[in-house]
Amino acid sequence: MGAHAATRPHYGGTLRVEMREAIESADPPQTGPGMASLNGAFAITRWEAGRSASYSAEEDAAGGRPFLDAVEIEMGRSLRDQATDLDLGKTDVVELGFNEAHRLATARRTWLSAPVRVVALVFGPRVDDTRVREALALAVNRAAIRNVLLQGQGEVSGALLPQWLSGYAFLFDATADVARARALAAATPPAARSFTLGVEDATLRPVADRIALNARDAGLAVSVTAPGAVSAPAADVRLVEVRISSRDGWQALAGVAAALGLPAPARADTPEALYAAERALLEGFRVAPLFHLPDVYGAGPRVKGGGGITPAGEWRFENLWLEGRRP
Amino acid sequence: MTFRTRLLLIFTVAVMASVGMVEWLAIDATRQSFELMEARRVDALVAQFRKEFARRAANIVHAVEGIAASDAAFNIANAPDPSAYYNDAASMASARGLTLLELVAGDGAIVSSAEWPARFGYKEDWLAQRSDWQSAGAFLKREELADGTTLALVAVATATAGDRKLYVVGGQQLDADFLSTLVLPEGMRVLLYRALQPRFAQEQLLGPGPRGDQLASFIERVEKQQAEATRTIGAETFHALPLKGYGDNLLGVLLIGSSRRELLALEHAQRSYGLAVAGAGILIGIVMSAWATARVTRPVRLLAESAGKVAAGNWDTTVEMASGDEVGQLAQAFNRMTHELVEQRERLVQTERVAAWRELARRLAHELKNPLFPLQITVENMQRARERYPEQFDEVFREGSHTLLAELANLKQIIARFSDFAKMPAPQMQPVDFNALVTDTMRLFEAQFAQARVTPKIELDARLRPIEVDPEQMTRALRNLVVNAIDAMPEGGALTVRTLALGAGVRLEVSDTGRGLAAEECARLFTPYYTTKTHGTGLGLAIVQSVVSDHKGRIAVESEPGRGATFRIDLG
Repeated sequence: MGAHAATRPHYGGTLRVEMREAIESADPPQTGPGMASLNGAFAITRWEAGRSASYSAEEDAAGGRPFLDAVEIEMGRSLRDQATDLDLGKTDVVELGFNEAHRLATARRTWLSAPVRVVALVFGPRVDDTRVREALALAVNRAAIRNVLLQGQGEVSGALLPQWLSGYAFLFDATADVARARALAAATPPAARSFTLGVEDATLRPVADRIALNARDAGLAVSVTAPGAVSAPAADVRLVEVRISSRDGWQALAGVAAALGLPAPARADTPEALYAAERALLEGFRVAPLFHLPDVYGAGPRVKGGGGITPAGEWRFENLWLEGRRP
Repeated sequence: MTFRTRLLLIFTVAVMASVGMVEWLAIDATRQSFELMEARRVDALVAQFRKEFARRAANIVHAVEGIAASDAAFNIANAPDPSAYYNDAASMASARGLTLLELVAGDGAIVSSAEWPARFGYKEDWLAQRSDWQSAGAFLKREELADGTTLALVAVATATAGDRKLYVVGGQQLDADFLSTLVLPEGMRVLLYRALQPRFAQEQLLGPGPRGDQLASFIERVEKQQAEATRTIGAETFHALPLKGYGDNLLGVLLIGSSRRELLALEHAQRSYGLAVAGAGILIGIVMSAWATARVTRPVRLLAESAGKVAAGNWDTTVEMASGDEVGQLAQAFNRMTHELVEQRERLVQTERVAAWRELARRLAHELKNPLFPLQITVENMQRARERYPEQFDEVFREGSHTLLAELANLKQIIARFSDFAKMPAPQMQPVDFNALVTDTMRLFEAQFAQARVTPKIELDARLRPIEVDPEQMTRALRNLVVNAIDAMPEGGALTVRTLALGAGVRLEVSDTGRGLAAEECARLFTPYYTTKTHGTGLGLAIVQSVVSDHKGRIAVESEPGRGATFRIDLG
């Protein structure tokens, strides 16, 4: 196959996809971004919960038959393994960590969604002093974390909903103010200034460590509990990542609030009402939003076609085709 | 203390002193040898540590310079935005065998930190204080880590890309692993104290073995003085080496401990042997003293016993001793002395007996002569009146017979006094209020006091408690003393009778203001039949002394001519 032929779509081939999440449900997911997005263009042919799944092209798909014959998905792969497999040609599409995204972005083989995940600090009941919560929220240098640890991906934010979705996220201040944080912390009892920070996702561990360092500058003693540690669920503060599940502002806010353990927001049909609802949710600093992150995928050199994902992070593999043989 | 005990002590002390001296010399010599050897070992270890330290420093400098010269460092230095490299320090450090590595941009902001990745962007301003870091070599530095502060040996190198600069700060922690690489002789250990806090912190003292408060105070002293020091703590001697950092500030103390257990064990063994030898010496001393006692002290003890018998009145005691040495000669002299004492006593008794008879005869003659003379005169008057004045004979006879009867009664009284003295009965003791006895007795003399113009004075001690005496005999003794005092004051005077409590006993004093007595008179005053008076029998004070003696008391007299006399009786 010559280089000229490679630019034209053609049918056939199996797209290999690796993902970090291990979906343990008995049946393949039917809603949401990712695997569920294949429904319609592809049909499930094999499902091993938490391990792998196989989809085959629907001949009678509404948009026409996909170029690909099949999609094989392997679940529960770490970001590092995925990156290695992509480098070795063992797979075609992988999720990318922050460092890998930066590296691969230079080769223009990445698919980037809009910021569809919100990273936030969620305070447990033991941190009951509002001043401490506000002090930690003010102490975090979000910009430095975004620039270095997130390699410039995503957006710094003090809001739950991303700017592209709500239009008002910039109104929530996300600037670090260590002096004020220190003053707030100093006004609290010493016992209240010491707490644990649990991080459930290993990829966020560096972020948690940096937050602990920022907290120390403010006079707070924050110790990070390791991902997967027994103590992590019982941590005083959790660093969590929640996916925006809807393009509708109010539904997205309700979904995020539910995921973070916040009360359901009041029904909001206007941007002003949505803003007020979100402002009410963040009152008292029970949750401190930090970043909005995109989904980032890396594609191997065989994969041709347009972007494999939508701005909302939904898979659109029906427009992809594969070039050449498997290595 | 007996001579035998003294001898035993002398032997024991002599043996113990000799053993102790030898023991002390041996222990001292051993200790000096050990201390010399230990000092050499410590010096060797210190030299080894310095060498190891220098080697580590050279390795670190080499590694850091290698990193700074690498393409990776150049790329980071050259990158407009080095944030992509924030994770690179860890792999670089691992590849070069460093535990600490920080890549710092020219403005002092950390690009990447191997030991604390989260510190990216934080400033390390101290790096800008010097431009020629290559010449600084490796130095000690206090390093901040996520879980605390540590002490590290670090070096700094720079990588340049055009006008951009990248500091490479790398090193190794001075920790337990570092100490474990030091090769130590047996019985030695190395501890490292990292002076990372203002006050001593036990957790900063790294190394094996126990550590206590004394070690803490030693470290604090070294921190304060910032100079090498040595101290013995328990069974170990520690040599402290202060470790200074780049700014000449003290950042740590290396402690090289050398066990003194061998020395202590040797000293213990020497002490045990010394005690055993000393014990044997004491036993030998006892045996030798027993032998010496048999040879030397037995004759001396016999002599002492014989002397005691002589002192008890058994003057014819002799010592049987066959030896011809000095002790034997002493025994012979003792025997001669007792023999002469017996002879002298017999002669003295005989002489005294003769003297007493003579004195008795003289006194009797004197006493009897006085009444006999009136008898003779009266009878002669009666004879003369019968021959020359028969008409007056009856009158003369009546007067003469009256005189004769009076003188005969006087003679009878004299004889009765002698008889009384001869048959002094044993005292009948009973509790007596001595003050009342004195008062009652003095009352009997009121008429005589007035007639003799004597002023009586009674001073009684109210604290006096009843005392066991024979009241009759004691009254008699007091009466004799009072009569004596009245007789001593023919011109009148003052008579003072005084009682004084002496514990459970009493002191009785009878003082007069008479003519007093000469010393020789005082000496003979209690001799029977001795008197300084013209009309006395000389038995009064002898009776007083006899009564006092029967009451187990003492009598004494104080007097000077012209100043009166005081008789003092102590009873009880």
